[in-house]
Amino acid sequence: MSHEHKHAYTQREGFTIDYGREAEHEIVKIQEEIAKYAYIEKEYPSRWLAIKLLEEDSDIKMRLQVLEGGKGILAIAEKSIAHLEKIYDDDVDVIIADHRYGWINGLVKETVKRTYQDRLTGSDKVDRIVTHRLLGIPIFLLAMWSVFKLTADVSAPYLDWVDATIGGPITNWIVAIIRVLGLGSTWVESLFVNGIIAGVGGVMVFVPVMMFLYLSLALLEDSGYMARAAFVMDRLMHVLGLHGKSFLPMLVGFGCTVPALYATRTLENEKDRILTGLLVPFMSCGARLPVYVLFAAIFFPENAGAVIFGLYFLGILTAIILGITLKNTLFKDKEDSTFVMELPPYRLPTLRGIWFHIWERTGSFVRKAWTIIMVTSIILWFLMAIPVRGGGSFAQADIKDSAFATVSKAISPALAPLGFDSWETTSALLTGFVAKEVVVSTMGQVYAINNTPDAIEEETEATTFFEDVGEILTTFMAATGDTIKSIPLIVGINLFEEEAEEEPTALMQAVRDGFEESSHGHSALAAMAFMVFVLIYTPCVAAVAAEKQELGMKWTWVSIIGQLVLAWLMAFVVFQGGILLGLG
Amino acid sequence: MLKKVLIEIENSKNGLNLNELSHKLNLDRSALNGMIEFWVQKGRLVDDDAEEAISCSSSCGSSCSSDDGLGCSFVMEMPKTYSLRKSDKTL
Repeated sequence: MSHEHKHAYTQREGFTIDYGREAEHEIVKIQEEIAKYAYIEKEYPSRWLAIKLLEEDSDIKMRLQVLEGGKGILAIAEKSIAHLEKIYDDDVDVIIADHRYGWINGLVKETVKRTYQDRLTGSDKVDRIVTHRLLGIPIFLLAMWSVFKLTADVSAPYLDWVDATIGGPITNWIVAIIRVLGLGSTWVESLFVNGIIAGVGGVMVFVPVMMFLYLSLALLEDSGYMARAAFVMDRLMHVLGLHGKSFLPMLVGFGCTVPALYATRTLENEKDRILTGLLVPFMSCGARLPVYVLFAAIFFPENAGAVIFGLYFLGILTAIILGITLKNTLFKDKEDSTFVMELPPYRLPTLRGIWFHIWERTGSFVRKAWTIIMVTSIILWFLMAIPVRGGGSFAQADIKDSAFATVSKAISPALAPLGFDSWETTSALLTGFVAKEVVVSTMGQVYAINNTPDAIEEETEATTFFEDVGEILTTFMAATGDTIKSIPLIVGINLFEEEAEEEPTALMQAVRDGFEESSHGHSALAAMAFMVFVLIYTPCVAAVAAEKQELGMKWTWVSIIGQLVLAWLMAFVVFQGGILLGLG
Repeated sequence: MLKKVLIEIENSKNGLNLNELSHKLNLDRSALNGMIEFWVQKGRLVDDDAEEAISCSSSCGSSCSSDDGLGCSFVMEMPKTYSLRKSDKTL
């Protein structure tokens, strides 16, 4: 034997790792076989080769197989592997790697002196508070509250500016072009004004709101907080007996329900996957936000941010309660899921990164307005232009006599106990199945009582193109100033107190009057019930398609019907319960 | 040490993250990352590729995909997770 024996059971020499008595014994056995072939030993260090063979390195095995004596060495190695696996009840490469890591860890401990405090990074120190078992949830709720306060309060001046610009100069320009083409006072003018402008324009008004929402979410996301929020909520889900990983798809659901449904694929267990798929739609996606902003501005102007935050929170709460109920009944499963999450370090968000998120997401929202919402608005306009009663002609009859109003009126009695059984509200909920932004665009169309071209002309003074452009720029500057003044509203400081209250728009007034009438004087309660209904019922057709793909037809129907029933029940409790308690 | 990592993950009842795990086992994060990677290669841990799962398919196109085909712009950056493979739970 050419090697010196440093230990009784090993041929280790110098700076080498001890793989344990049994493994070292087998290494020596293989080394002894290798030593019989000098040319192999010359080519490869025998200890290294023995370890590689125990680790079943495929490349080394292949090289050895073609050498003289190689097969004999491989046979010895295989016997050693079988022997060690019997002893350790695990793969030999795991045993070797385990010893290797143990040795490195020991070496680091002996040579590097660091206290626990030294090892804590800045991210670790922040995480001790942000992901704290008790503080984590309130911090998450506070972050969410700030997001919606910023979204609702600070975006308001820009929302008013876009509303005035679309309702004023842009509408006037389109009407002027139509009249230049000789199509004034025809159904084409009505299609553009009452169909496309009222529908698409009604949704485009909310672009500033969406931009502020995406700004807030991008700040949380790029700073690394969103991953902590997922971890904190995930731990809560685990404590409540739900699959911890369920919250990840739910977090995605705040942006869009469709990718959130695809994210359920990360759950291995089918029961957990279906259960999470059923809960994901209760997370309020961005498309529902315009509905909340509109209704909060009409009925709860002083507490708009808090109302919107409450709705998002209600969505999470509904998902958790329903999840616990289903997990203990239909989806009973004792198998525990275990996983570990990687939290990225905290980062300072960059302006470029934030802008990229805002641009991408707002761009998607706008593209959707010009595709799905425009098509829906045009179809809706046609359905509202076809009279089925009253004897009017196409596009000239009262919309209350239209085919669409007739269908909506047939369904509306089912909504009477909820306080919003007008045909206008029913029609908005019906088209809301297509996409939630369409709820607002439909309201813009069905309540467009004064939006006839003649009415627009009467309301607005004749201005030139350049005067309009000047007005748009001036009001934009004013909106920017008001937005800066709005920032202190997040912490409750109102710099607008001295100013007169703004007049509600025609749509806002019409919605308020409609709810006042349908709820018999309890409009605020009916509005709250309506928002709860929008939160809970089917998100959109794309989500239904994703559900069908991910959960199958049976569970898709369970989901659609279940959401409708739950939406009705929750809205009923809000409206009737509120009346019983003397609220609103 | 390597096995301790897997045992800790298996015994985690109320959620666990890699930072906590590295402090608990008194390990450097870089060393822990290497161990996690080892277990993923061995197939005992599964890298839950959430990004892959939610990369927008054509059925999502009508609702949320971006035109450039880079995926759904509404998807937030998901924290990476590693799950214990069920059949290998008992060490």
